[in-house]
Amino acid sequence: MLRFENVSFRYPHSDSSVEQLNLHIHKGEFVALIGSNGAGKSTISRLSNGLLKPDTGTVYLDGTPTTAIRTSQIARKAGFLFQNPDRQICQNTVREELAFGLKLMGLPEAEIQDRIADALGRFSLDGDWFPFSRSRGERQRIALASVLVCRPQLVILDEPTTGLDYKECTAIMEYLTRLNREEGLTILMVSHDMELVSQYAKRVLVLTGGRLIGDGAAGQIMKDRALLGKAHVLPAQIPALALRLDEGKEKPQFSDVFTIEEMFDTICRLRKKGDSEAGKGAALS
Amino acid sequence: MNLLQYLPGNSILHRLNPVAKLAAAFLLGICAIVSQSVIFTTLLIVLLLGICFACGLGKRALGLTRNLLVLGGMMFILQLFFVRSGDPMLSAGGFTLITQDGLSSAVLLGLRIIATMLPLMLLFAITEMNDLCGALVKRLHVPYRYAFIVTTAFRFVPLFTAEFHDIEDAQKARGVEYDGGLIKKLKLSVPLFVPLLMSSLKKVDSGAMSAQLRGFNLRTVSSGYREYPFTAADIGCILLSVLMIAAAAMI
Repeated sequence: MLRFENVSFRYPHSDSSVEQLNLHIHKGEFVALIGSNGAGKSTISRLSNGLLKPDTGTVYLDGTPTTAIRTSQIARKAGFLFQNPDRQICQNTVREELAFGLKLMGLPEAEIQDRIADALGRFSLDGDWFPFSRSRGERQRIALASVLVCRPQLVILDEPTTGLDYKECTAIMEYLTRLNREEGLTILMVSHDMELVSQYAKRVLVLTGGRLIGDGAAGQIMKDRALLGKAHVLPAQIPALALRLDEGKEKPQFSDVFTIEEMFDTICRLRKKGDSEAGKGAALS
Repeated sequence: MNLLQYLPGNSILHRLNPVAKLAAAFLLGICAIVSQSVIFTTLLIVLLLGICFACGLGKRALGLTRNLLVLGGMMFILQLFFVRSGDPMLSAGGFTLITQDGLSSAVLLGLRIIATMLPLMLLFAITEMNDLCGALVKRLHVPYRYAFIVTTAFRFVPLFTAEFHDIEDAQKARGVEYDGGLIKKLKLSVPLFVPLLMSSLKKVDSGAMSAQLRGFNLRTVSSGYREYPFTAADIGCILLSVLMIAAAAMI
């Protein structure tokens, strides 16, 4: 779906850069990009959809170099949700906002109306709302709906849950996870929120100083303290606790624990096991 | 490069009183407008560039001149083809394209644009907005509220420029194509200017609230601890600018 081949990029008048990046994101993956500020996360996300063109190397989107096609054509395949929804929203009503991208794609009016009706229902939005007067969470939902209504194959999320409360954050992430699981939507998410990454991402890329220093399954990366330390990132609390509980154990029991539910289930299972062993011991004695 | 950004330094230009710098910038602008001589206007630009190089501002001055050349070039072309008086210099199919008066006035106008705007833009490179605001209040007794509005407006320019570029990127990522003719660009200005207007209003609103919370209304002339005395260099700078106007009028 997305491939970086020896990609280097440097901003003029700035130290921020990406150096010799090789990366392959397959269709249907849910990938998180983590690292400290200035590590190159946003640069990679902007290189992915052609907003930035690499100085050297090539970025391929669905097999086509991003330098060979216009950003507007890339937009049909790769949707981009910015951290600040106010940069995207530009119409007077939610309905017009959703129609904006579809009209740019040149879709017939009937299909546009069908897709809008579907998106309004899925995202619990009212088509007549004036977007600018809604809450931050609702504006982010409107922005996400206007990206997803175009049905891209890849969606790039730049800090999608910044400024959202827990309920809004969970609603957006659950919806994206469902799209990823059921419809094979490829997701590339830039985030500082390790809890979010730990809970939802399947693969994690770790960046520091514009270089990729880690690439692996979320479980493996989230428990690699040395790697996260190199990237100046604090591990999520549940994987960190699981790691701590397994410290010095010959048979780790929390190795697959990343979420509160998994931690709860594992503790319950171990308690049950402990109770039954204690029961057996009491019966023997 | 942000062309309105302050460049710290300790040159004689930097050390001038902000009011003197502002006055000199306006007077030199007037001088460029008054001048009817191509040679004088060219020398004025060269003099300004020379002073900038001497004060370590050469790179910024050249950058500004390059940008002003674009504007000057556009005015040159308009003037060249729209002034019809004077002897014909270039004709095609019996129709006069360029006249002698057109050429001379186009050259003068192009240079005048550069000479008028260069000192004003250089003012931002050598003056901190806080100092300009303070000096306007202390020396010219401009009410703080108005001095603050003027300096804040300039301070917001780079912020809005950055915001504009981010909005442009966000709209491109949605599939908006900004390449194309003028009509197409005008049609697509809505997705650019509506978010910019909304974010500007929000910024202004939160900025005003933040200023009120920090006692903006309590500020008086004596609230600023810095004084901005006029020195001989300031008076000399203003006098020199007035003399330049006189010279421009006479040549």
